[in-house]
Amino acid sequence: MLKCCFILFFGCFLPLNCHWVFKLPVASDMKEKVIKSSQELSKILLEVGAMLMAAGANTSRIRTTITRIANVYGFNAELLITHRALMLSVYDDKLDYFQSSLKRTFPHGANFKVVSGISRMSWKIVEEQWNYEQIWNEINRLKSLSHYPRIVILLMVGLSGASFCRLFGGGAPDMLATFVATFIGLIVRQEAIKMNFNAYLCVFFASFTSVLIAGGYVHFTPGAQAEYAIATSVLYLIPGVPLINSLSDLLDGNIMNGIMRGMNGLIIAFAIALGMLCSILIYYI
Amino acid sequence: MEWTVLLESWIWLGCAAAGFAILFNVPVRTIAVIFLLGSLGGSLKLLALKLGVGAILSSFAGAVLVGFLSIYAGHLRHAPPFIFAIPAVIPMVPGAFAYRMMLGLIRLTRDVDEATFLHLLEETVTNGLKTFFVLMVLALGVAAPMLLTRRESAKHIKIQTIVRGKRR
Repeated sequence: MLKCCFILFFGCFLPLNCHWVFKLPVASDMKEKVIKSSQELSKILLEVGAMLMAAGANTSRIRTTITRIANVYGFNAELLITHRALMLSVYDDKLDYFQSSLKRTFPHGANFKVVSGISRMSWKIVEEQWNYEQIWNEINRLKSLSHYPRIVILLMVGLSGASFCRLFGGGAPDMLATFVATFIGLIVRQEAIKMNFNAYLCVFFASFTSVLIAGGYVHFTPGAQAEYAIATSVLYLIPGVPLINSLSDLLDGNIMNGIMRGMNGLIIAFAIALGMLCSILIYYI
Repeated sequence: MEWTVLLESWIWLGCAAAGFAILFNVPVRTIAVIFLLGSLGGSLKLLALKLGVGAILSSFAGAVLVGFLSIYAGHLRHAPPFIFAIPAVIPMVPGAFAYRMMLGLIRLTRDVDEATFLHLLEETVTNGLKTFFVLMVLALGVAAPMLLTRRESAKHIKIQTIVRGKRR
């Protein structure tokens, strides 16, 4: 008896439904188009967001960039941004259609060429009304952008270590020791990253090596001031990007992201301290 | 004599900023500007220190200068301002304080008598607090222009002609 009632009840709606579907082929065609478009767009937006997150942009920048791009194509975009994943919901007002998707972000490492490139791209999309293919081409171009040559990075970072040493009051020999310590420490870090060690362990190795070299200079040179060479030989490791991003996230009200970034920076600082500790104990300074 | 010292540290500050810029893989067109910003902010800090302002306030002055200049640099070189600001404030990071705090912590874990312990503790806490506050103030100084102008994007600050009448 109950089953009969159900069949009768839904039976009433069946013809009505079919009628509606067959009567509006144009609308359904349009809907299909919107669905296709929103799927493609969310792929692009998530890719852009993941690239920004990995390259060291702060949370509000990711959010404004993605909203800016989505608005060009007539969609609203809402985002949940965390350290390791992005959740995106693209919304079309007229059709009342949602498209939600999720993407894991890549491991982090500051790369400001990508941040700058994506920022310029987003403004070009607004001003020149790019299509999706153009955006994909630009994304692929940005991904293939090279880093500086390794020797240039090593020399310049070594020079910046030596500059720090000079600023703190060290003389020419101290500067040379800091330069060598930074140079070799950075090589150790790059090699450790290549060998897929844990990111914090890479920092530890680098800090240990640098202080081992700078401490050796201080230990075997009579009359050398301990502070200058040792204190400045690890400064290339300081987590400047996570800490500054952390505070700007906290100020923007993205408290969770701010805490996550701050914690990340603190662990890096702790790894540096641990590396220093081990080397300092060897020389007993 | 004093001025030559300042001029020399001007160069070293710029070199330190440029080194970090390359470590962060910035676009080539921005390196010269970062050198300039780093040296200007850093020399303001050194100048303030020489005039007797405390370490924290003088770092703040330097960071605010870098923050505001980075907005103009962003318009000039067509890149987000924080790309200029982060490498440029890094030469102001209180490495010496952080190192002394670290050394103090290590010494505190050794066996020391009470008088030395208290003396060490006092030094370590002072250095640690200075490190913490200077870091905070650097980040605040970089964020200051965005906070004060209350805009979502630096592109809308001051130079309106670049926007070409699109949104806002």
